[in-house]
Amino acid sequence: MAEYRRYVFPFTAIIGQEKMKRALILNAVNPRLGGALVRGEKGTAKSTAVRSLAALLPEIEVVAGCPCNCNPRDAVRLCPFCRERLAAGEELAAGTRRVPVVDLPVSATEDRVVGSLDFEHAIRYGRRRFEPGILARANRGIVYVDEVNLLDDHLVDVLLDAAASGVNVVEREGITFVHPAAFILVGTMNPEEGELRPQLLDRFGLCVPVEGVDDPPARVAIIRRREAFDSDPIGFLAAFAAQEEELRQKIVQARALLLEVRVPAAVVRLAADLAAEALAAGHRAEIVLAQAARTLAAWEGREAATLEDVERVAELVLYHRQREAPPPPPAEPEEPETEEPPAPPEEQEQPDEPEREEPRTQPESNRCDGNDGLSEDNRRQQDENPSPECGAAAAETVFAIGEPFPVKRLDHGRDRILRKGSGRRSRTRTPTKAGRYIRATMRRGSGDLAFDATLRAAAPFQGRRQKNGVAIAVEAADIREKVREKRVGNFLLFVVDASGSMGAEQRMVAAKGAVLSLLLDAYQKRDRVGMVAFKGEHAEVLLPPTNSVELAHRRLAELPTGGRTPLAAGLLKAYEVARAHLFKNSNLSPLLIVISDGRGNVGVGGRKPLAEAHQVAALIREEERIKTLVIDAEKNGFLSFGLARGLAEALGAVYYKIEDLKADLLVKAVRTLTD
Amino acid sequence: MRKEIFPFTALVGQEEMKKALVLNAVNPRIGGVLIRGEKGTAKSTAVRGLAELLPEIRVVAGCPFGCDPEDVTVMCAECRRRREAGEELPTATRKMRVVDLPVSATEDRVVGTLDIEHAIKKGEKRFEPGVLAEANRGILYVDEVNLLDDHVVDVLLDAAAMGVNTVEREGVSFTHPAQFILVGTMNPEEGELRPQLLDRFGLCVNITGVTDPALRAEIVKRCLSFEEDPAGFAAVWEEEQQRLREKIVAARRTLPQVDISDEMLLLIARTAIEMRVDGHRADLIMMKAAKTNAALGGRTEVTEADIKETANFALLHRMRRKPFQEVAVDQEKLAGILGLHPHRQGGKQVAHSHPHTHTHSHPHQHPHSHAHTHQHGHPHGHEHGRG
Repeated sequence: MAEYRRYVFPFTAIIGQEKMKRALILNAVNPRLGGALVRGEKGTAKSTAVRSLAALLPEIEVVAGCPCNCNPRDAVRLCPFCRERLAAGEELAAGTRRVPVVDLPVSATEDRVVGSLDFEHAIRYGRRRFEPGILARANRGIVYVDEVNLLDDHLVDVLLDAAASGVNVVEREGITFVHPAAFILVGTMNPEEGELRPQLLDRFGLCVPVEGVDDPPARVAIIRRREAFDSDPIGFLAAFAAQEEELRQKIVQARALLLEVRVPAAVVRLAADLAAEALAAGHRAEIVLAQAARTLAAWEGREAATLEDVERVAELVLYHRQREAPPPPPAEPEEPETEEPPAPPEEQEQPDEPEREEPRTQPESNRCDGNDGLSEDNRRQQDENPSPECGAAAAETVFAIGEPFPVKRLDHGRDRILRKGSGRRSRTRTPTKAGRYIRATMRRGSGDLAFDATLRAAAPFQGRRQKNGVAIAVEAADIREKVREKRVGNFLLFVVDASGSMGAEQRMVAAKGAVLSLLLDAYQKRDRVGMVAFKGEHAEVLLPPTNSVELAHRRLAELPTGGRTPLAAGLLKAYEVARAHLFKNSNLSPLLIVISDGRGNVGVGGRKPLAEAHQVAALIREEERIKTLVIDAEKNGFLSFGLARGLAEALGAVYYKIEDLKADLLVKAVRTLTD
Repeated sequence: MRKEIFPFTALVGQEEMKKALVLNAVNPRIGGVLIRGEKGTAKSTAVRGLAELLPEIRVVAGCPFGCDPEDVTVMCAECRRRREAGEELPTATRKMRVVDLPVSATEDRVVGTLDIEHAIKKGEKRFEPGVLAEANRGILYVDEVNLLDDHVVDVLLDAAAMGVNTVEREGVSFTHPAQFILVGTMNPEEGELRPQLLDRFGLCVNITGVTDPALRAEIVKRCLSFEEDPAGFAAVWEEEQQRLREKIVAARRTLPQVDISDEMLLLIARTAIEMRVDGHRADLIMMKAAKTNAALGGRTEVTEADIKETANFALLHRMRRKPFQEVAVDQEKLAGILGLHPHRQGGKQVAHSHPHTHTHSHPHQHPHSHAHTHQHGHPHGHEHGRG
């Protein structure tokens, strides 16, 4: 089949984006660097650069006609096709081809990635033969995944497996086949759409963040070039042909020089030191770092890598491997005159965390200040009978939303229940014909026929079957059905404590920050959200279940804080909303997220407020389909009451402190490591 | 079955939406438009009406992708092979298509799949083109685009950005051109679009119901007379339609000659930088939209007015937003950069028709109460009916 030919904007015509270009060129020179991940905002020539790199890659020697691009000089790693030819006494003719760049679209199905039974061959000759897939075509080349963070988990598994071992093992449709699949991964992604799994992230040798160019004349030049290319691609390519050829030659020279570049011990040591400093897991970081320094030296025509080379490539190698330091040891208390024993510091913030809280210059009236050192009894009293100084003001204060942070995975794993819905949080098998077709299975009665798999199953037997004027006769035993998978969003119901006690110590700022973080996460996972708030005498539904996370955000921003804490009413209202939701969507379990300090002091009936809250909690616990999560807004400290923890126990809920929600981040927005 | 379509030119008001659509009809490279607004504001009617105004294009007869016989750079593999084999490609002329992408569409229908019939009859694998193939060189229209299934959006993203559809599924491996104008409508109350998909729309307009009672009466009058006698109504408007059609054709002819000076490009670049947009796509689209606007005015040189009139469309959905901030442009800032008075921007009720308010007191049990909170440039009046 003829291939569609793309006219791609030439690499050398890309203005700016030097880091990205360097990362790609280094990979063209030395495939052992293990690929590159380009992360950045939309419209910054990410995909263009990767696609145009293909034209610059050097030629490699391959066995002519081999679908796996086998190296004729490497007898150890020949694919079964080549070995078969050798065994038949054939000589493997050598040919050349450019290093392949194979596109892996996010819509790919497994059979095309790993390869499958050759259907046409089976029909014609009645024999099973392997038809190579993307992994075979990419052997000794590059697999390119645009929007790599949208790739299905299932395909990611397949990719990781092959990338780690360098071979693709196929056991399917009555075929056993093992072929070399040594490829490097190049991916582009926009982090707004969600992060990559850490294992996949680590597979990329280098990682570059890209941003738009901010210099007006450069931007003008970019527009002009793009317009020129759009109006006459052929002429434009011709105009850049000489530059492209020059770059190609330079890459070829660097590749030749690469093996001669020495890597002095001091360079290796620096690489190891930097990797250790960045707290990179495993040893891939220092290995890639040393390789990258060497490659840079080769690229610049030098015969030894220098310390400076290491520094220049450090950001590319360490950007996605840096991890956060463990929390520092408790710092000295800031106010030495305090009489309390040294409690854990109030803010155990990560070092690079942006200021999460408002500065303490908040108007005094916003907070019931002077609370901090009060005894439990005093404080209770204050909650129940707001003191005149702060009562009125605290009754209605709208706190700002704290700085959001990435949150941990909160999903409950995959199960085998078939669900309807759409979203990205939990993976599930879907019963409807929607969802991504990932693979085929023997018949199950869903009526969702997998034609390709069915035909492949029927194909080998065609010689023996009765056919009525068609090329292929399908029998019942051949029928295969599609297995589809899609992520189902959850229904997150936020139950927010907006009482006066949440105003103390800026708890509300942090609590809102936590909710916003969960909302951001909800956006990426396409969850439905709802919100219940309680304060004063009663609870109210601020936001009925909706897909509009924006709306939830707006409600959150406007939510005032003040008054007493009708915890039981809040829980009851949440229970009602969750039940109503279950009534309509019996298979989508709601997740109640209670954000509170647990200090309920207003009841619904005549009993003690806290006892009532626990009674409602028991009710919620009984409904097994409702999952609960309690986020304790109280800070670690001398004066924590542990009331929220008690509530979590009563609910049978997972319990978190706000700080515990934060994900252990691999990619940090630290831009400048070396420059 | 052919349903009579409400004539585009008979739509009352909604000048921004009409402008954005006409710009796309003249220059498909602008890359489409996203129309955001509440229900009953003639969003779908306008898009369907636009189809009637689209010019004819030349295609290779019988080619499933409707390849342009003149343009080898975006030719499908088969047409290219035939051409290179020295064959004279048969041509035909047809209207630019508007292909619907229903919200319920499955992924295999969108990207294409294995041709079952051919496989069974001939025992050979063949690619069966999907919606993306059909939409090549036409308009891909997604009503309620924010309700589109997530994995369908994923496949749209790549095709819309690169103009190419790569299929590796269900036993087939195929790549073909998929250059389409992406037109979508959505009601923001039902959830926002993913930012990545937002960026794929060349232009974006926020629309709101018409508030002027006289205009509202006119809307009702026209709707009624269209319902009573669609053909008669269309006949009344035919002259107006023809005038617009000719204007579009003339603009298409002028477009390749339109020049833009460095000074104007600098203005565009500075606007993009100061408005803090993501990436460079906004610059390109601003330039293309300004050029097209000049062509529509019959001029061959882009003026500042062209930029001012169209910049908003390209910026609206590309502003770097804080999480969940509304899709809106700070009109005062934009006006400052472009040196114009905010109230005259675009000549319509873009800015400041609603003051920046946050005075909203009883949010409870009121699913639509958010319509009270307005920000600049994002007016929606909840009481407006259909247009």
